[in-house]
Amino acid sequence: MEVIRVEHVIKTYHIGQIETRALDDVSMSVEAGEFTALVGPSGSGKTTLLQLMGCLDRPNSGAVTINGHDVARYNAGQRADLRKKEIGFVFQFFALVPVLNAYENVELPLLLSGVKPKERRSRVLELLNAVGLSDRTTHRPDQMSGGEQQRVAIARALATRPSMVLADEPTANLDTANGEQAMTIMQQLNEQTGTAFVFATHDPRVMAFARRTVRLRDGKIVEDGAGN
Amino acid sequence: MALGKLWKISYRDLARHRRRTWFTLIAVGLGLGLLILLDGYIAGVMQDSLETSIRLKTGHLQLRAPSYEEEKVSLKWENLLSNANEIAAKATALPEVLAAAPVLWATGILDTADESASLRVYGIEPESALYDPIRDGLVAGEYLQPDDRSGIMIGKRLADSLGVTAGQKVNLTVVNADGEADTVTFTIRGIYNTGILSYDDTAAFMPLVRAQALARTGDRASTVMVRLHDRETAEQVAAQLQAPDTQVLTWRELNSLFLETFETAAGFYKILDAIVMIIVAVIIANTLLMAVFERIREIGILSALGMKRFQVVIMFLLEATILALAGIVVGLILGSAGVWYLATQGIFIGDIASTVDTIPIGTTLYAKFSPVSMGWLSLWTLLIVLLASLYPAWYAARLEPVDALHAQ
Repeated sequence: MEVIRVEHVIKTYHIGQIETRALDDVSMSVEAGEFTALVGPSGSGKTTLLQLMGCLDRPNSGAVTINGHDVARYNAGQRADLRKKEIGFVFQFFALVPVLNAYENVELPLLLSGVKPKERRSRVLELLNAVGLSDRTTHRPDQMSGGEQQRVAIARALATRPSMVLADEPTANLDTANGEQAMTIMQQLNEQTGTAFVFATHDPRVMAFARRTVRLRDGKIVEDGAGN
Repeated sequence: MALGKLWKISYRDLARHRRRTWFTLIAVGLGLGLLILLDGYIAGVMQDSLETSIRLKTGHLQLRAPSYEEEKVSLKWENLLSNANEIAAKATALPEVLAAAPVLWATGILDTADESASLRVYGIEPESALYDPIRDGLVAGEYLQPDDRSGIMIGKRLADSLGVTAGQKVNLTVVNADGEADTVTFTIRGIYNTGILSYDDTAAFMPLVRAQALARTGDRASTVMVRLHDRETAEQVAAQLQAPDTQVLTWRELNSLFLETFETAAGFYKILDAIVMIIVAVIIANTLLMAVFERIREIGILSALGMKRFQVVIMFLLEATILALAGIVVGLILGSAGVWYLATQGIFIGDIASTVDTIPIGTTLYAKFSPVSMGWLSLWTLLIVLLASLYPAWYAARLEPVDALHAQ
């Protein structure tokens, strides 16, 4: 089943007087359960593509369809609702809410979705256990290592049982061991839950985990094939 | 999303920046405290002055002949009440009335060998409760007896300025009802001190019958002065005492100049209130804008997780509410402490009091607690803080998630 479809998407940015075309007529789709890497050098458009897939931004033209819904014309509230239900995010920086502990950070999307307290608790503990942090529930981000923070972010991305998780350079700020651990966890969760994972990266070690690699250059897809 | 979690994020964010939070809530607290102090002080001075004026000068009600004009202190028979005793008796019979008695006013000049002073002569019924403040304020000599034919009482300040003491003789000149100046020698029977300089300086009391004889007004009186148990019943009692040949004036009319003066002063204080509130609003807006700028990326994360714009607004409004409530507590403590100090110790203003003719103020001014006013000021502070936080909250809410996430 197709979870994301991007069709003839164009996205341009204006920096001063200069117009930069970040994505130039890009089309691709992602099936449920995929583990896909968007790869390419800096400025190739992979983060922009990820943002459009994640309803964080809107294309100048073209269509973005998430689970059959054309979201290109959704307003801010509708996009927020869709993100809440269908999409989990893992960012390059350890994007946790600094004043909430690990448990509360994972619980946050469940609260936003109105999940009942008992269900919330069991899901949070299950996910923190799955990422190996069941002993870190009360630690705040500044009391955890970068690797631990990113694992909390992975747990949080999966809390609402989304149909896809979008990860932007998830290992860029981690050392090799922690980076591999984060990727292994994402791979395991992908296999266990069937959630599609799409991650943008230019790290060859991360690409090695992908079952499908989409290569971008200058805002265009130049290669789409099986993993490395 | 559960309000509890937003609340938790808000107060923890405030706790994360303790120093800034403290400074902000102290600013809110100082602002509110200052307003409470000013308000308590003005209310205290106004209430004290009004009560003093009613107690010493005007009473709650006065009944006069329709043609009587107080400024002229007329002694012409047609301007005086011919049935003053009858009116006083009728008023005294009413349950709302504490005391009622006729008074005759005249202007006079008091002479000693070296000094003289112009003053108002009060012909009074000394035994009436209307003159308790004079009786209680006796500092030398003795209080007037109703049948005293040669004694007068004057204020301590006047006695000091004339250099006279109780028992000494003075000459009092009064222009009587026939327009003739009569000079009579009186003995200073007693000296009183009410603490109200403008009153202790310009009045001489003598028994009504003696004043009537001196001014040749027969049994007529300038007014019948009435004091009530409760001033709020003034209009009701006035209606009962209304008669075709009398004018009834309530304490509001009798003190209108004084009340207008205070209303004008209160208007100026309202401007000061507004300035303080604006300063508080600017501080709050600044604090929250700083909080927004520092947390742009965090707002991006929350948006990415599906937090809606109105929830972002609520999160910052909650933060403002916590700051406001904590600031209000600080303000109430500081303001109450200030009002308590001024209510018990007061501010000594000394002789300045005597320069204010229209307002009978004492030499020490005291503040008064006004819980209703404190409640309103607190509510206003909360409202102003919330209004001031709308812009930062709106700014945060309108950030596009993609821009917020990439903010440095």
